[in-house]
Amino acid sequence: MSAQAFRVLVVDDDPDMQRMLARMLEAEGMRAAAVPDGDAALVQAMASPPDLVLLDVMLPGMDGFAVCERLKRDPGTAMIPIVLVTALEDSASRVRGIRAGADDFLSKPVQRDELIARVQTLRRLHETRRELERERLAAEVNRKESLRKAFARYMSPRIAERIMAELGDEGTPFQRGPQRVNVVALFADLRGFTRLTESTQVDEVVGLLNDYFAVISEAAYRHDGTIFSMAGDNLLTAFNVPFSQPDAGRRAWETAHDMAKSVKPVLSRWRQRGGSTTGVGFGLASGDAIIGNVGSPHYMSYTIIGDAVNVAARLVQLAQPDELLISGPALHAAGATASGARSRGKMALRGRTEPVEVYAVGL
Amino acid sequence: MRGCAAAYNRRMNEANYKVKVARDLEDLIPVFLSNRKKELDTLRVALASADFEQLRQLGHRMKGVGMSYGFDHVSTLGKYIEDGARSGDRAGLETCIRDYAEYLSKVQIAYE
Repeated sequence: MSAQAFRVLVVDDDPDMQRMLARMLEAEGMRAAAVPDGDAALVQAMASPPDLVLLDVMLPGMDGFAVCERLKRDPGTAMIPIVLVTALEDSASRVRGIRAGADDFLSKPVQRDELIARVQTLRRLHETRRELERERLAAEVNRKESLRKAFARYMSPRIAERIMAELGDEGTPFQRGPQRVNVVALFADLRGFTRLTESTQVDEVVGLLNDYFAVISEAAYRHDGTIFSMAGDNLLTAFNVPFSQPDAGRRAWETAHDMAKSVKPVLSRWRQRGGSTTGVGFGLASGDAIIGNVGSPHYMSYTIIGDAVNVAARLVQLAQPDELLISGPALHAAGATASGARSRGKMALRGRTEPVEVYAVGL
Repeated sequence: MRGCAAAYNRRMNEANYKVKVARDLEDLIPVFLSNRKKELDTLRVALASADFEQLRQLGHRMKGVGMSYGFDHVSTLGKYIEDGARSGDRAGLETCIRDYAEYLSKVQIAYE
């Protein structure tokens, strides 16, 4: 018999009735299991929910009404159609059965045609409902997969998974209103790239950029950073967003080192092919920023704006190839991990009234 | 005239002993009939001890199972026994049980 066969649980204390009902159902291509009382019915239905229950009212111990009520109350079995088998003249039982949640009734003595007609009707309803449920679940899976893929373009797979796991009524963190958050912002910039684009074939430029962004993005994801922008040869990654990261400073510090190390083989290969980039510079700063969806109804992006981003952007412009310039607060946030940084003193940065304490470290 | 007395007084002719059963239930019939004979013994014991509650339950069961298999007369007798047990009609029950024994000994089954 097919694994897809419609499964009916027959509950009747009379073995002759069990056998006869099972035989009639099996003759219609269904699969029948039989139990003699209410307790066994509950155990069986909960352990292996059938597609339909054919339930005699008069059972030893717990009667059919009580079994029906229990099955309809339990979320795991509530959707299973129940046909109560009652005496033909017993209208009071039918009223009780309706109150207990029965889906249909079958008169005893059982008429074969009536049995099959009632079961087949409920089977069609049940299968339609199951098909709709399957379609709903498939649509939900597809929606989540699309969202997951979209998130995976901007953030580490771990953070994307966490967003998916916490997906609730209020939507993703990107669908919420703007928030002010203390972030750590890290800029990476490929030095000498602009000159390179003037003297190199388009395909080769794009190939280098793809290799470059691939390795530095992966480094960002390894440390659970969230990428906010990728423009030209410039990558902005932030930490402590969209989820709290108490060790955001350390993560950002290690990410810069990881990016510098990972990109070296790419640049080396490029130089061997005649390219002339000199290395990657990094700027790292921490402080308040506003996170939110910014743009117009036609174009919008999940954006980070604020002092930390401005400072990191100015620092990356000043950084030499293979050098990380880091603000004092960001170095402090990196904690014990951060060593080998030399003070550059207080530096005046464009667009900022107060000078910034800056440290430099070679990568 | 009440309950089983009605059954007893109803003249059984040959046609009443002929039963048509679906071919795909054929292999279930020997067990079914064996259980009816055990039921008959239990009915006799229950009547001897005036256990009307058990008689009522057995009658109710006969009523449900008999016609479901095509043995309409078993259901008819079952109803009489159930009613007779409710009213405490001992004589009627005795007659009914005798009728049941005779029916089981004479029933002829045709499978189709």
